[in-house]
Amino acid sequence: MSSRVGANEFGKADGFGEWEQELFFPAGLLGFSSCHQYRLERFKPDDGNATPFFILHAIEQDLSFPLIHPASILLNYQFPATPELLNALNASSSDELTPLLIVTIRERIEDITVNLQGPVIINPKSSLGLQMVIEKYELRHPLLTREL
Amino acid sequence: MLILSRRLGESVTIGDDIVVTVVGVSGNQIRLGISAPKAIRVLREEIYKAIQKENESAANAVDSKKRLQGALKKFRGQAQEGSDE
Repeated sequence: MSSRVGANEFGKADGFGEWEQELFFPAGLLGFSSCHQYRLERFKPDDGNATPFFILHAIEQDLSFPLIHPASILLNYQFPATPELLNALNASSSDELTPLLIVTIRERIEDITVNLQGPVIINPKSSLGLQMVIEKYELRHPLLTREL
Repeated sequence: MLILSRRLGESVTIGDDIVVTVVGVSGNQIRLGISAPKAIRVLREEIYKAIQKENESAANAVDSKKRLQGALKKFRGQAQEGSDE
């Protein structure tokens, strides 16, 4: 694949611009089931440049997760839109839902991974979110998959 | 831990609305049917633990901004090198 996403295009790749919203996760995230209130915002670096990252901040705890939209890393990412999922997020179709992948930052850039197995699925309309589990997907997918 | 013996086809109930049924036994593998409310997350333990652990690694309580900044710098650096080729 020859397409290469330049750093300045990151903000456009996911189509969300300056997305900022408070979200409720009725079931929390796995391992953080008692934390329900979050604020999602675009990560803004000090240099003011566009960035593909979002941060999910817990409102009542000192807890935050870096996220990225699959489109920003050229992933054609499909999640199963089961009736349970639509129901839990108060959505009438999967078009209303946005998947975001949790990024695990590590020291070396080559070691940074995104979690395809436990995506965060958000319904911006209802301000609801949940972490779903898709067993067949990778838990640690390299953030950088492009040939550089 | 409560330990119960069950035969094929028999069940255990947990609370009012969770039922676990032995639906198959073959060698050392047992198939369980689990009926629970939709709000209850039912997962294989190893999957649950792996994602839980990954969530913990990803959660950066104090310095997420700094670390993300560093990662982004490196990310851009590599992308830049790539496009210069």
